[in-house]
Amino acid sequence: MSAAPVEVKLPETDDDAVADRPWIVIVWNDPINLMSYVVLVFQKLFGYSREKATELMLDVHHKGRAVVSSGTREKAELDVFRLHEHGLWATMRQD
Amino acid sequence: MFGRRRRRIDRRQNRFIVRMDAEERALLRQLLGELRQLLALSPDDPRVRRLYPAAYSDDPERESEYVSLTREELQSGRLASIDAVEASVDAELLDADQLTAWMQAVNSLRLVLGTMLDITDDDHELQFDPSDPNARTVALYGYLGGLLDEIVDAQL
Repeated sequence: MSAAPVEVKLPETDDDAVADRPWIVIVWNDPINLMSYVVLVFQKLFGYSREKATELMLDVHHKGRAVVSSGTREKAELDVFRLHEHGLWATMRQD
Repeated sequence: MFGRRRRRIDRRQNRFIVRMDAEERALLRQLLGELRQLLALSPDDPRVRRLYPAAYSDDPERESEYVSLTREELQSGRLASIDAVEASVDAELLDADQLTAWMQAVNSLRLVLGTMLDITDDDHELQFDPSDPNARTVALYGYLGGLLDEIVDAQL
């Protein structure tokens, strides 16, 4: 198997490059939320499998944070909002 | 069985059985009333600030836009959860939406109590000491953690 050739389109200006970069949603470790609760929230909000959600939760727990989703600014902001609704400490920034 | 407490929340197909006695349900109702009062506070009040985290930690302009778009909805969503739990607090059987409301209300309470107890790191160990002025908060924080764990377990 070989990878399909990738057409590389160079951005015309730096501004375009900045605008195109995806936004990432980061969940930070906090000492109050239960680990099992965080796993369930990741499964519910993002449709992740139990394994994937557990892996992300453990990253948050051991490394202090994990990127849990990415996309346009609008999508990232909605994801952050839904995480805030569930009491998780989430922020977003452009990658 | 000997030595093992029966779980309070159990899944039955798409519904959830709640086994709690009247006193525990009354406690929950009372705590919901306290949470409702706390939610009436300004989001900048230290007791509830944890319920309104920042989305853009290094961009004050976008952050203030986010705050103006979401604060009211975060608050009304939590109040709606309280309403839903109050309406079902005596129920023997909950549907998935009702249990979600229970989970959100219990978690909000834990966040507020944990903030009041100044729990700031994972290794924080709470000791229950009846003479401590925080004794009630410590006991409730522990109680709500156990209940939340069972609510989560029933859904996983």
